[in-house]
Amino acid sequence: MTRVLECPDCGRRTFYEKRRCLDCGADGLRPRDSGVGIVQAVTAVHVTPDGVSAPNRLGLASFDGDASIIARLEDGLEAGDSVVLETPDGAGSPPRLVPAETDRDRETPTSSGKQ
Amino acid sequence: MVSHNSLSGRPEASPARFGLPGVGMTRFTGSDDRSIAELLETAAERALDDADVEPDAVDSVHVGNMAAEAFNNTSGLANALTASLGLSRASARRIENTSATGASAVLDAVDTVRAGRAEVALAVGGEKMSVAETSVATEIISRITHSQEYDQGITLPSFAGLAAARYLESYDATRRDLARVAVKNHANARRNPYAQFESDVTVADVLDSPKVATPLRLYDCCPTTDGAAAVVVTAADADVSVTACESAVGVHAVADRADPLRIESAAAAGRAAYDAAGTDPDEIDVACIHDAFTILEWLEMEELGLAERGEAWRLTREGRTEIDGDGDLTVNPGGGLKARGHPLGATGISQLVELVWQLRGDVPSDRAVDSPRYGLAINVAGFGNNSVCTIVEASG
Repeated sequence: MTRVLECPDCGRRTFYEKRRCLDCGADGLRPRDSGVGIVQAVTAVHVTPDGVSAPNRLGLASFDGDASIIARLEDGLEAGDSVVLETPDGAGSPPRLVPAETDRDRETPTSSGKQ
Repeated sequence: MVSHNSLSGRPEASPARFGLPGVGMTRFTGSDDRSIAELLETAAERALDDADVEPDAVDSVHVGNMAAEAFNNTSGLANALTASLGLSRASARRIENTSATGASAVLDAVDTVRAGRAEVALAVGGEKMSVAETSVATEIISRITHSQEYDQGITLPSFAGLAAARYLESYDATRRDLARVAVKNHANARRNPYAQFESDVTVADVLDSPKVATPLRLYDCCPTTDGAAAVVVTAADADVSVTACESAVGVHAVADRADPLRIESAAAAGRAAYDAAGTDPDEIDVACIHDAFTILEWLEMEELGLAERGEAWRLTREGRTEIDGDGDLTVNPGGGLKARGHPLGATGISQLVELVWQLRGDVPSDRAVDSPRYGLAINVAGFGNNSVCTIVEASG
């Protein structure tokens, strides 16, 4: 699970690193599991920066605590689908949005034993 | 009529007014042979000539430029400008605020006059982007995003694609309606000798152009541009005056917004500007909206109260934002960023150049808004990280 940052005072969550809460300004944001979100919008980006292959399919997904993220979408996902954020192995790889069911299927058998 | 020259005679409710006696710009183009310094000089001289102001009368210089280090391998633009133009008595500085750099330079000029530090201020902004390949320009501009956004390969058009997808899903607007924004702004630019694009496009042209960030296509997006624009701001009133120039910040990461269709910084800057000017959206006759992408024309009109939420597309479909439309409001008569062009540091100032020309009646009849009194400009940084809203008013 990819972490989301939660405000200790008001509970507002954000995926984006920052010093203080977006809503109330409190500091000390705490990591939490982001849980299951919903894809709100999808775009396929055909003009991409160097090193990013096109089309770069991105989704805007909303999660609990008014947290949203724009991240790469696994093929086949559309607006309205349930998703979780998956952080691929390997340093520097950004998290991506994958189907919520698939993630649960993956996690159940491996949850007892970590690599 | 109360005299604005006498502080003692001004009713308390009157907004502070600052004159805009001179404006000027270079013709915006995809590639200009002149250097960034020459572009700034040319626009500045045109504005000073238009204002009939001698160089040694200028008290302060406010140069807007986003990325000369990256595009042009140069710095120190403000000092080069003052030396070249003989602005020998002026204080000078450079302002950077990504895509809202131009209006931010104007804000700095207005505030300097407001503070009594200048009687005559010159705001001039420019960018020379043509020296960079498209991929390099995309990279430079993408670097203004949050690092976690950048890591996803997100570009500015990516945000616009997501917002457009969401808008078309949420309301009855169609993809063709969105194309009509580009069609209108191209038609206006064709009649503007200072605009980058000289030709009309049709809805079919827009829908057939290459995909950039679905559902948006190439003709939904502003070009990269070379150009500069300038405005003289004075403590004394002029034929056209600024009655508000207000800025507001928003979140950095676009997904941190509670609603993907909101650009809260534009709404906040607009509210502050209407308050400062003592006016409201119904009174605005002509608006220069930061349409870096077609969808932004709708979103910003809604944030500024120029259309009801979820309804801006209807004004476009009915042709009511066109110059000769039946509506009360003309939007982007100069062609907007979409078709006049978007030389980052110049854009916000070119919006004011257009408004001053319109309010003075200094445009050909085929591009003239009918007797406008109030004009509004919104210049937006990034995809809403920051917005500057300016309201101008014709005297008399």
